[in-house]
Amino acid sequence: MNRLRQDEAPVADIHQHLWPESLIAALRARSTPPRLRGWTLELAGEGEYAVDPGAHDADDRAELARSDGLDLALVSLSSPLGIESLTPAEAGDLIDAYHEGALALPEPFGAWAAACLTAVDAGALSRELGRGFVGLQLPATALLDRAGYENAGPLLEVLEDARLPLMIHPGLVARETADGQPAWWPAIVSYVQQMHAAWFAFRVHGRPRHPRLRVCFALLAGLAPLHGERFAARAGADVAGDRGVVDPGVFLDVSSYGTRAVDATVRVVGIDALVNGSDRPYAEPASLELGPAALHAIRSANAMRLLYPKEVFDDLAIASRA
Amino acid sequence: MIWQSLPARNLDRGELQTLVDGLANEPDRWREHIAFEGAQRHYVSLHRDEYVDVWLLCWVPGDDTGWHDHDISSGAVRVVRGAVRESNPRIGGDPAVRIVTEGGSFSFGPEHIHRLAGEDELAVSIHAYSPPLWRLGQYSIDDDGVMRRASVSYADELRPLEGSLAAQAESLAARHGSLAA
Repeated sequence: MNRLRQDEAPVADIHQHLWPESLIAALRARSTPPRLRGWTLELAGEGEYAVDPGAHDADDRAELARSDGLDLALVSLSSPLGIESLTPAEAGDLIDAYHEGALALPEPFGAWAAACLTAVDAGALSRELGRGFVGLQLPATALLDRAGYENAGPLLEVLEDARLPLMIHPGLVARETADGQPAWWPAIVSYVQQMHAAWFAFRVHGRPRHPRLRVCFALLAGLAPLHGERFAARAGADVAGDRGVVDPGVFLDVSSYGTRAVDATVRVVGIDALVNGSDRPYAEPASLELGPAALHAIRSANAMRLLYPKEVFDDLAIASRA
Repeated sequence: MIWQSLPARNLDRGELQTLVDGLANEPDRWREHIAFEGAQRHYVSLHRDEYVDVWLLCWVPGDDTGWHDHDISSGAVRVVRGAVRESNPRIGGDPAVRIVTEGGSFSFGPEHIHRLAGEDELAVSIHAYSPPLWRLGQYSIDDDGVMRRASVSYADELRPLEGSLAAQAESLAARHGSLAA
């Protein structure tokens, strides 16, 4: 790993989606959801969605990333498609297609790996990480309880050994939540609830099993960190001696939130936990009115601490003091 | 653990001073973080929970925070190496100044306005704030002596951009050595 200096510290967006042509072709080849008919996406839980073809043009998106001022834009598999939870054969085809295309994306893109959750294969993940992925993304729906952490455990151990981070992103929305609800319902309600649950599940099941894991929760973990007072008031014996110590290995991306929610989260967990993530092409980068120091922390320094092991970051920190 | 002995609520300034004094006697918790490289303060977050955050600051000569308050937080500072100069602004006069040397500590409530500077080469201090720092008031004085307060993220104080704080302090000091009207 090259040493990083602050004057070279990249500006990063760790949460974008871009479907490479290989993944689009694999989704079009399917006869059941998730699949693409032309540019119409069919999902089991969220109905049909008209995909903007331009949103997945790699060259256009690279240009957009540069106009966002980014040196690094990380893409991931769109976990709400539910690909990770398909049968091993189905999931394998789609994930392979995503991996092939994601690694071939032009600069400034990098990518999170994906993994099948119906037949967990730690060796396969290890090989994929070795090809250049920055870490692994898993759906929140796979990490909600003890069984979820038992199932995904071998994957998370691979990450710990490789000192690479985990990204937790909303997953597939249950079909019944779509009945009679507007199109924005999953993004505002279902995803937020998933992330909220995943935040507390990590605290209960994830951190004890994986003490070295660096993890990032998308969308400010659905604002779960703001529930510290409620946790103290209601968790009873579980909370005895628990002062809500901020976990230095846990990060939150700011996607689709703005100054108020980000500032409220800073009040609870501090500035060091926040990382820039836009969720392009589904949302645009927020204009955060928090001052240049906070923006530098969110867009650059904290992203580097999420992505790189501590000793690499220490070099960065030392350089920043020079 | 020292943290678990603390009450699960915000701490007052006296409790914060007891905390930083106690931490000073446990150098194994912070000695490894002492670093003096380059021309700026070095900041290490030693602990943060729902109720308190604790920092280790390493000062080099010329470091100066500029005038600021801590919004709703109380705080306490213990000097564990060298000496730190604390100044409080006085309208129409020179600031009140005290030098706090190794082994000394002080505390303050949210009404407190001050600036801190490294007095000795390679000073080290432990700082605790409750509730944890969130926003700060940063003060500037224009050429007519009019004072203004800007609300800034605590990142501007403890996670500053390289050079920004030093430059800011330098320009403030050059223009307004004191708050004398």
